Amino acid sequence: MILSVAEDTGGVKAAGPSITAAKPDYPVLIDPEHIVTRLYNLVNVPTAVWINKNGRMVRPPEVAYVDNRYQFLHRLDAGPYIEGIRDWVTNGEKSPFVLSEKELKTRLQAQSTDHALAAAEFGLAEYLYRTNRGKDAVAHYKEAQRLNPDSWNFKRQAWALADAEKDYGTNFLKEVQKLGTKPYYAPRQLPEGKKN
Amino acid sequence: MGRIGFLLVTLCYSLAEFSAAFAAESNRRVIIYDGTVTEVSVGAQGSKDLWITLTDLTKATKFEVKPEGVCTDKLCFPLPEARKKEFVAEISGGTRFNLSEFARLLKQPVAHDAKHGVWYFGPRPEVQNGFLATLAAPKFTLPDIGGKMHSLADYRGKKVLLITWASW
Repeated sequence: MILSVAEDTGGVKAAGPSITAAKPDYPVLIDPEHIVTRLYNLVNVPTAVWINKNGRMVRPPEVAYVDNRYQFLHRLDAGPYIEGIRDWVTNGEKSPFVLSEKELKTRLQAQSTDHALAAAEFGLAEYLYRTNRGKDAVAHYKEAQRLNPDSWNFKRQAWALADAEKDYGTNFLKEVQKLGTKPYYAPRQLPEGKKN
Repeated sequence: MGRIGFLLVTLCYSLAEFSAAFAAESNRRVIIYDGTVTEVSVGAQGSKDLWITLTDLTKATKFEVKPEGVCTDKLCFPLPEARKKEFVAEISGGTRFNLSEFARLLKQPVAHDAKHGVWYFGPRPEVQNGFLATLAAPKFTLPDIGGKMHSLADYRGKKVLLITWASW
């Protein structure tokens, strides 16, 4: 089953229209405090994690588009990953896309001290924003971004709550252009023979 | 006294009330710990650390100071014998606990906003990174658009594709 989570500080107001328009037949939850982002060390959206029947992760957090509408931006083909999901649905633990415990552990990393502090600064910023002190939240959002520059979640959520150019001196397009040839999403490692 | 005298006295009382209110306000702190928000009073200390009463410690964090250490109902952290005064001290006529020093001892990440007196305590590293050893998917409970709460644990027994997205 699909369990969808909106990582949106704006809560129902921000995420609600998309949920209403989509009319999903699976649960869609709203996470205004970015709890899932922090628990799983996520850095971007859309990101998926595969969890087996026993509550164990069988694939790490990976970019997960349903189609190629933004392929011009991230240069990844959604097809092989969707194929993998279907294979897992059909074949369960026997799917070649399911990683062994040993392999999965090599693909997951402990949160660094800087990234842990970034998450704390982001949490503080979120609290200030939620309690109507958005202007004072900016300094903490900036600190979170400085400590974890790989987190697009920390950047894009903060920009969405302010005037990005005025408060942060940048915007999404400028930051993506700065990447140059560096990928916007971390590349997926799919079974041999599967395109990515 | 006369009208001017009366007005002066009234003004003095108003200023005094305002000063007292401001002083009280400036001694208030907000602690965010394990997602729980707690307001506490720190008294007039002038310390850069967060010294709180033992009652507020338990209220904010569920920790209690015991002879064997600083404990919840599930675990205890002993305090370094030679440094106990850095954690527990008599301040302003009462026993207070240094929650920021305790966080440093436990290597907890802490963010602080001095202007608003807000302290955010992140999870200890072994709590944050615990799932890396077991690969157990970290649990959470969140509402849907109608406010109904859903837990990841509700879907045990099924394969779950957990997928995050955002309106931004």
